[in-house]
Amino acid sequence: MELQPIHDPPKSFVKKYLFSIDHKYIAQQFLWTGMAFLALGGTLAYMIRWQWAYPMEPVPMMGQLLGNTGGVITPPTYTSIFTMHGLIMIFWAITPILIGAFGNFTIPLMIGARDMAFPKLNMYSYWMFLISGVFVILSFTSQLGAASAGWTTYPPLSTNIGSPGWGQTYMAVAIFTTGISTIMGGINYIVTVIRFRAPGMTYMRMPLTIWGMWLTAILNVLFVPVLGSAALLLALDRLFGTKFFIASAAVQNGGDPILFQHLFWIFGHPEVYILILPAWGIVGDILSFFARKPAFWYRGSVFAMCAVTVLSAVVYGHHMYQTGMAPLLGLGFEILTLAISVPAVILFVNWLNTIWRGSLRLTGPMLFALGMVFVFGLGGLTGLLLGTISTDIYLHDTMYVVGHFHLTMAAASFLASFAALYFWFPKMTGKLMDETLGKIHFWGSVVFITLTFGGQMVAGYSGQHRRLYDPFQYTYLKHLAPLNQYTSYFAFTLMAFQLVFIVNLVRSLLAGKKASQNPWQVSTLEWTNCASPPVYHNFDDVPTVVRGPHEYAHPEAKKYLGRDYLDQVEPMPTSAGDVPAAKKAAVGA
Amino acid sequence: MSVVAAPNTRIAAHGPHAQSREEIASSLGMFIALGAWTMMFAALFFVYLGARARFEVWPPPGVPHLPVALPALNTAVLLGSSGVIAYAVRELGRGRRRLLTPLLGLGMTLGVAFLGLQLVVWRDLWLAGLLPSSGLYGSVFYGLTGLHALHVLAGLVVLLVVFGRAFGGAYDAEDAYKVRLVALFWHFVDVVWVLMFLSIYVL
Repeated sequence: MELQPIHDPPKSFVKKYLFSIDHKYIAQQFLWTGMAFLALGGTLAYMIRWQWAYPMEPVPMMGQLLGNTGGVITPPTYTSIFTMHGLIMIFWAITPILIGAFGNFTIPLMIGARDMAFPKLNMYSYWMFLISGVFVILSFTSQLGAASAGWTTYPPLSTNIGSPGWGQTYMAVAIFTTGISTIMGGINYIVTVIRFRAPGMTYMRMPLTIWGMWLTAILNVLFVPVLGSAALLLALDRLFGTKFFIASAAVQNGGDPILFQHLFWIFGHPEVYILILPAWGIVGDILSFFARKPAFWYRGSVFAMCAVTVLSAVVYGHHMYQTGMAPLLGLGFEILTLAISVPAVILFVNWLNTIWRGSLRLTGPMLFALGMVFVFGLGGLTGLLLGTISTDIYLHDTMYVVGHFHLTMAAASFLASFAALYFWFPKMTGKLMDETLGKIHFWGSVVFITLTFGGQMVAGYSGQHRRLYDPFQYTYLKHLAPLNQYTSYFAFTLMAFQLVFIVNLVRSLLAGKKASQNPWQVSTLEWTNCASPPVYHNFDDVPTVVRGPHEYAHPEAKKYLGRDYLDQVEPMPTSAGDVPAAKKAAVGA
Repeated sequence: MSVVAAPNTRIAAHGPHAQSREEIASSLGMFIALGAWTMMFAALFFVYLGARARFEVWPPPGVPHLPVALPALNTAVLLGSSGVIAYAVRELGRGRRRLLTPLLGLGMTLGVAFLGLQLVVWRDLWLAGLLPSSGLYGSVFYGLTGLHALHVLAGLVVLLVVFGRAFGGAYDAEDAYKVRLVALFWHFVDVVWVLMFLSIYVL
């Protein structure tokens, strides 16, 4: 296979920092933009939690942002806040951080490519994303308030009848735009993995991270267009008076709001796997790297991830059990939904077997990976009750659902993102992060993330509906006020612990210790064959890969090299003399 | 898609020239992009089917009847445009680039004619009282044909760029594939139209 050419790095500020076509820099653009939106989404979460703890009392610190209400959250503002929280976190925080940043960063480096297949398309993808972010901000500034129909944007609430004004329209446009950005990125990821793997990097030698990113990209390319259609038709309804989703006695030959739900969930269910597949891949790799053992049944994990990718496309109906679906159809969706637990459990058992009797190195990335396994386990188990129709009837639209999807999408995806950030930060910036602060950040995050979302599930199990402005005005929910207050304290503590992370990040960026080429002593290409940070074209000589990514606890390596792992590129040592001395020194042990 | 897996050497044995790294990657990227577009239009057809399923008779009583003759002519125009572009690509692949600009020009003219006839169809129906806001039937009709027309427009813009470059002397055997990939998008838009014509106007 022909190699990608080496280009000179750009010199001008604009080409280097603004319109960069370098995948490593675009990854950082996605990372910092995503973090800014994460902070915005977190602020909104703070207001929601305040409202549920102390409804109709002035919000401390943030009250002035709410306009002329004396700091009190009004009902319309409240609906806007939880709508924007959901949309921002999913499309403008998790997606850019987990997929935009780490996908861009890891794919070329881990498969041995000099850049993405289409570097310019990569740049357009970021700028499309930024434009969509502008529409999000515009939504906040519109006169009748930001979008307020819930993150699912169901009509008729999201039509002009339910939410007049420009806020919802801007968000429909923003979703469409960010969808285009995601599809561009997806095309790039798929082609790069298919065409630009280094010689010898077969599919079954790819790190699990790349498998996760690749499968996610495939799902993105197939199902984000469906969301694009839905957003487009909604925008047509709002702007040009079409009647796709508006059904009422007043409208002759009216449309069908349920149609939107179909389109939304045809996309929406693959979306939850879009947000978890990269996390699975990253965690699968990191557990092996820091347990110093080969990933248990690598092929099984790969097949399980592929199986989930396929199944994710045919289960969307379980979001719509309550729409009057035919019982037989519901049963079909139920069986398919529960079938997903088979590959999910295979993955889970593989993770446990990977760390079983390993020499665990409890570093920052490893702790976050273990934390992800824990919260994902909780999230997965609690999902069974929602996939089963008979229990879903009672739990549908309660806080239980909110707790469940936060454990899987928010907790698991974000802990995996943090694992990835702690793991690749030295490679990205050339600086080491502080391990002690990292551990404080981890324990604070994992304990309070579990308590926060666990509290939500308990409240939901007790009958508290999601999205209630003041749950305690209902007699049957009055006794849940203390539970909600405690849950809010846990959430506030969780947010406070993120300050530790910000301190760590800023300190490491400004005054972090210089990272060596391979500080974690792992075997994948970005650590063994690239400097920290890598040069502009990643690899001077594209290496030839000779084995899989998880060669740890290797007796022959121990015997001849004095370390416990083998690079993906070095030949099998048969005697100490076979290994060039320079290479031995460079990699270190 | 043998292009996907086969290394360069094998392709070179079959084709007139060795496909470059860019050519294979771009072709693959275009196939995937068309897959995404297919899903987008599939969602629109899903909406069409969902809309039809809501009514016991289709078209719903009281809406103006859609013409068939003019859209049929229009389908022929767009198919003709596709054929002309395909011919231009084939000639270019055989190293005969003399016909490239006139054929591209003819293909684009037919594309513009398609949009013109489409405007006539829309105007007639609008005057007959079918509005996007008059109900689901009008919404589906204008929404689907309108979004398709936007794709025709986008295709014409890209073809115009190709035409300009070809006029300036670009596209030899090495980068003829760029014209081929743009043509692929044009054929895709054509296929979508045939499906729309059959489902919306005929059936």
